[in-house]
Amino acid sequence: MIFYKGVQTKNQKFLIVPRSRKAQMEMIGLVVIVILITLGMLFMATFALKDSDGKKIFTRKGLAYSTISAVMKTTINDPDCSVSFSGQVYPQIGKDLIEDCAYYYQDNLIGSDYSLYRCGNKHTCIFLEETISEILNETLGGWNKNYEFKLQLIESLGTEPTQILKINSGKGGCWKKEKDGSGLFPLHTDQGTVEGELSLCD
Amino acid sequence: MNENKKRKLEKYQRRQRKLRRKAQIRMSETIAIIFIFFVLILFGVVFYYKYSQISNREKQEELLANRAMDAALQSLFLPELICTKGEAEHEDNCFDIMKLNQAEDVFSKNLNYYFNLFSYAKITVTEVYPGNLTWTVYDKQKVRKVENGTERIWENKENTYYVVALRNDSKIEGQRKYNFGYLEIEVYS
Repeated sequence: MIFYKGVQTKNQKFLIVPRSRKAQMEMIGLVVIVILITLGMLFMATFALKDSDGKKIFTRKGLAYSTISAVMKTTINDPDCSVSFSGQVYPQIGKDLIEDCAYYYQDNLIGSDYSLYRCGNKHTCIFLEETISEILNETLGGWNKNYEFKLQLIESLGTEPTQILKINSGKGGCWKKEKDGSGLFPLHTDQGTVEGELSLCD
Repeated sequence: MNENKKRKLEKYQRRQRKLRRKAQIRMSETIAIIFIFFVLILFGVVFYYKYSQISNREKQEELLANRAMDAALQSLFLPELICTKGEAEHEDNCFDIMKLNQAEDVFSKNLNYYFNLFSYAKITVTEVYPGNLTWTVYDKQKVRKVENGTERIWENKENTYYVVALRNDSKIEGQRKYNFGYLEIEVYS
């Protein structure tokens, strides 16, 4: 642009910015925008990559462990259980009933109804399934937890484990992302080792 | 000559007008940029304010959750409740029903001691199988005196559950009976 040197005012001179400085200013603007976008992205990443709640994991694990431990300890208060015994017996789920279920599991499959304990006048495996379902539904189910309770029988080393009991929560098993388990609860029986596990998920 | 001077002056005035218009455009450009810049800054400030508000609330919830965990662990291992076998090690996840029957009395008599342990909280043990008994072991809530009695003033509540076996030695001789129940801890802030 050509100006007459003599007639230019001070302000008019200020308006004429050399090309190189103009480019520098535009670059600064670009850098500011890039910095702002980067900051925004960092904030978003902080939100997205936030660790899952420690309390939730802790309580899920603790709850799974305490639940399976309490289930195993629970004794059954039913006079029908002691049909094959003299006097009243209070069989424990973890010690007596699971062992009985593992021992007579195959009989139950071929239609025989025989088991040593006759709690609720039912085969032990059926009674266990009903009772454990009921108590888990009243506790974990009532707290809106999804769960999966499994009992597997390992008869000898190298053999495929047989699933003798599987109980899922009313809303289905543990298909959700946040899942924690009680760990394996091994029980040694005459039939082999029975492994119990309870998985919980939110 | 005069004509020439006049033409030059007109030309100069036209250029001056053009230059003024250009300066006005530049000014509006600058104002627009400054406006956008301040809008961006405003966005940032609002975003940061919201973020700090949320993170503050999350921090408070985390602290409450930690308190709930501490209270749960403390109650699970309270000698006043836990199943013991003489001098042998205690049983995990097990409460003695005989101890539970006395707990309410013991806790209410020593409220200051237990307040140091649990602060504002409520601890209940509920039997699920075979019966459905409930023991309120500890209950201390934030309250304010009003005309017609008291009013609860806690803002947040955090519940934690643990399933426990409830040992009943009283009914059968020689045989240990275990019921199924759960421990519920509510902490308030």
